[in-house]
Amino acid sequence: MHKPKIFKDVINHIAKVYGNHPGKMLVHTGVIGWALSSLAQVCAIIINDKIPKEQKMFLVPQEIADAGVNIISFYLITQTVKGVALKMVNMGKLLPKSVRNFLAENNVKNVGSKTFDVLKDGNLTDDVATKFNDFRNGVDVVATTIGSIISCNLVTPVVRNGIAANRQKELMARQQKRFNTPADIKNPEYKPSYMMRPSIVDFKATAYNNMLNSKGSMTI
Amino acid sequence: MCSFGISNMANYITTSIAGVLPSATVKGEKANKRLAWIGKHISSPQNRLILGASALMSQPFIDLNNKRVDEDTRKISAARTVAKIIAGTATGFLVRYGCIKAIDYCSLLPSQITKSMKNPRLRMLFTPDSAIAGVLKDLGQYKKALGSFIALGVMMITNFMIDAPLTRFLTNKFADKYGLKQNPNKKRETPETILFPLVAAVKTVKAEKENWKGAKNA
Repeated sequence: MHKPKIFKDVINHIAKVYGNHPGKMLVHTGVIGWALSSLAQVCAIIINDKIPKEQKMFLVPQEIADAGVNIISFYLITQTVKGVALKMVNMGKLLPKSVRNFLAENNVKNVGSKTFDVLKDGNLTDDVATKFNDFRNGVDVVATTIGSIISCNLVTPVVRNGIAANRQKELMARQQKRFNTPADIKNPEYKPSYMMRPSIVDFKATAYNNMLNSKGSMTI
Repeated sequence: MCSFGISNMANYITTSIAGVLPSATVKGEKANKRLAWIGKHISSPQNRLILGASALMSQPFIDLNNKRVDEDTRKISAARTVAKIIAGTATGFLVRYGCIKAIDYCSLLPSQITKSMKNPRLRMLFTPDSAIAGVLKDLGQYKKALGSFIALGVMMITNFMIDAPLTRFLTNKFADKYGLKQNPNKKRETPETILFPLVAAVKTVKAEKENWKGAKNA
């Protein structure tokens, strides 16, 4: 099957950049995915007429904060948990019994020190190296999952709720301020705002304004 | 320069933390076998399922205990969170799984093609040149990467066409079930709100802005 050049370039680029770095791919696709998902969810909240406006004032910032906090906490928590776990495996602090025994039997020095690398300095046989790689991949997945649960399911909801609650308060205060501002009855350009948002202050002001402008029913 | 500095700093932090922690050995044969199995079989679709299940166990309770907002907002927020987790996890899992399977089907090496196979050229559609030349050692990681990127493209559509409407539908169902106060001025859904939620949302925001400006001028 003939492949167009641009198509070939794209798949070759993905193979080159992400073929040996699955973690980088997960981070990049995850961040773009969160942003897109958040955009869709914000749209869904805005056009949902069943949700009252006051609650939308909480839900929209909550959703935006969810994406932002998710990305930040992913970098801070998930990546750190994953990095620490992998580092512990690579430097020989966390190992399966078979690899630990192999290193001890072969009298390998400096196991567990910051500069030690099991694959480079451990002189592992193919069989032991396979066991080590299987163990490391397992630890990678478990650490990423634990980190994701902590950041996405525990830290993010608490932080985003705080941010959204503050934003809701701000928006509601601004709305209240507008509702409680008396109408400018001396302004001849004044148009009754109750057409948009009725409030008792507006009704009273408009009635007063109309009375002042009116020439009365007795006008000849 | 900046990313170099950040990655170096991250590396320094992880090395420092790992250096302080005590050494440990996983002794049990079963535990080691389980870890190896997890490394081989758990990928982004399964990861999505695990995160979805754990999210259902934590996020609604965090929302329901958010004392900084009133009770109705708390309940609608929890209802929307549950709806979003269900919709997001279901579509996220299916799209990722389907895309990785499709890439797997179409990324065979020339040596893996047999005469009995149908559409041999289609089976090599996504095979990169570096894998054919033997430069790329781990074709599995490439397949997962390309599958995840294609899933991302598919999710640009499904986020708007499936996730968001399904979340909205489920949120309203849960809100009805728990007797939450609903907007008395609700409008009927139009084909636009279902098919083009982004356009409908932009129009709603514009109308709100006009409304806001009108009220401010008045």
